[in-house]
Amino acid sequence: MSKKEITLALAGNPNSGKTTVFNNLTGARQHVGNWPGVTVEKKEGFCNFRGRRIRVVDLPGVYGLTAYSLDEVIARDYVVDEKPDVVVDVVDASNLERNLYLAVQVLEMKANLVIALNMMDVAESRGYQIDVKELSRLLGTPVVPMVAARNQGTRELLETVVGVAAGNIQVSGIHMQYGHDVEAELAKLEKIITGNPLAESYSPRWLAVKLLEDDREIVDKVRQV
Amino acid sequence: MDSVEIIRLKDESLDHLRKVHGDDAETLIADARYGFISGLMKDVLKKPAIEKETATDRIDRLILHRWLGIPIFLAILYGVFQFTFVVSAPLIKWINAGLDWLAGQSSGISPAWLSSLVSDGIIGGVGAVLSFIPIIFLLYIALSILEDTGYLSRAAFVMDRLMHRIGLHGRSFVTLMLGFGCSVPAIMSSRTIENPQDRLVTILVTPLISCGAKLPVYALLAAAFFTAYQGLVVFSMYAMGIILAILLAWLFRKKLVPGESGHFVMELPPYRLPTVVTVLAHMWERGWAFLSRAGTLIFGAVVLIWFLNYFNVLEHMGRAIAPIFAPAGFGQWQSAIALVFGVLAKETVVGAFGTLFAGTETAGGFGSVIAIQLGWTPLVAFAFMTMILLYTPCVAALGTIKKETGSWKWTLFTVAYTLALGWVVATLIYQIGSLFL
Repeated sequence: MSKKEITLALAGNPNSGKTTVFNNLTGARQHVGNWPGVTVEKKEGFCNFRGRRIRVVDLPGVYGLTAYSLDEVIARDYVVDEKPDVVVDVVDASNLERNLYLAVQVLEMKANLVIALNMMDVAESRGYQIDVKELSRLLGTPVVPMVAARNQGTRELLETVVGVAAGNIQVSGIHMQYGHDVEAELAKLEKIITGNPLAESYSPRWLAVKLLEDDREIVDKVRQV
Repeated sequence: MDSVEIIRLKDESLDHLRKVHGDDAETLIADARYGFISGLMKDVLKKPAIEKETATDRIDRLILHRWLGIPIFLAILYGVFQFTFVVSAPLIKWINAGLDWLAGQSSGISPAWLSSLVSDGIIGGVGAVLSFIPIIFLLYIALSILEDTGYLSRAAFVMDRLMHRIGLHGRSFVTLMLGFGCSVPAIMSSRTIENPQDRLVTILVTPLISCGAKLPVYALLAAAFFTAYQGLVVFSMYAMGIILAILLAWLFRKKLVPGESGHFVMELPPYRLPTVVTVLAHMWERGWAFLSRAGTLIFGAVVLIWFLNYFNVLEHMGRAIAPIFAPAGFGQWQSAIALVFGVLAKETVVGAFGTLFAGTETAGGFGSVIAIQLGWTPLVAFAFMTMILLYTPCVAALGTIKKETGSWKWTLFTVAYTLALGWVVATLIYQIGSLFL
């Protein structure tokens, strides 16, 4: 069994309770710095669980992973470049539909996603019934219900994170389809990207999607090769 | 690959998508994600009824209704065929008048064989196919509207429950419905089905769906034999195609490729009002294949048919094959030849009739020439239409099946089972029908 440190990237929309989850995970063992090259605050912390040391990196709170804001670029680059062992997306269960937009984009990057389904109490008080098992099955990713404000579910979340990092829990993910007109263009782009040096660090399909989104940062990267 | 080339291709793709959809690819991609998520929400989230409903919710409550969903789907499909037939009728008349005039002009050409080639072969054959262009383009317009408004995804969602019962997934139904246009892109769209067994079975049954190229054959025969009930007869072909595709899919899934079927989210994109440009662009994309085929493949086939006929070889060939189809009622050599050439492309059947019966004018138009020359009753015509619906897919579809399954075995299996199915169903219709009519 590998005793290597596990890297956990913590993602989530603003107001999803991400900071609370971060505090629950790391307690007092945190330090604050800056993301390289920019003056955006970067928080990191540590925790030990089942004999494993887990480094928790708090990503900026974002709604998506486009190149429109610095926060989104930081979050995205970290997932793509640093390839954390697990990405935990804190999702507000009382605002599920909007929050899942980020989760879907993380899954498109083929990252090892675990969904921390937070604020289950608020969702329940509004009469929402969420089929957690079905959600997990259809997204192909583990979903851990929690109430971070009352420190409920933290243990289960860590259990799942360690399971995913050790390969005991599989994240099969989704295969997003963008409609056949877009797919036809994606197929063409994917084919010519495959020979490009960029394809070594990014998946050709993801690059193709980003190119069609006319993503400023990815277009620049392609130009610089 | 060169970065400059990638950027160039990207800009080209973006221009193309903007032209076709009037929207940036970015919007289309975001819509696909929202569609995925709202489909997911239908499966995992129950909200109390007091929440405010959006317009999409209200329309969905009717269209996705547990019991009304399938009847609504059938009614919409029926509406599509009524629309294509009613609107295309005068257009087809004009084109035919133009073709008659052309044929008249070319009868003066000498030598006589060249005049026959031009007026009987080319104008009679290719012209017969081209005269159905309005009907095909109108069908493609209707299909584009169904797809671009977001209804197609709803129909698949409605069918999802039924599809699970037969061991398939709603996405298979999307493939089948794209088959209304053409089997080739439909079979390719099966790539969205992740489970390999589900995908294989979907590919195998897609050719049973009535494609755009089969429509001219129905239209020709329906006009000749079922004047008052044309729309209904053609609709019955479409319905039979869907029903048999689903039945056979169930059988194949059970007997040939058993195993657990996949579970995915059925995407529910927001309803959209498609723009005229989008719909026309989609119509053109699909219709162009049909037009260019008429100028190449059908042209070649028709010239070959004319040539073999001119030298009296064709009838011998036809008579050798025809007895096979006698139990189904259409044991004439001309229809046997039409079926053989129909494997090149289904609309060649119309071209073959056009060439073979050119010059034998009657008051009732081209359709009634066939009725008189072949001595068919409406029952025989119906059995023949069933054969056209079900028998061996055209070469383009077979090529796609080979490419997508990567297997000659499954390709040949498709050839064999569709031929057998077409023969059996046509024979049953003719034999049982003969008892009552």
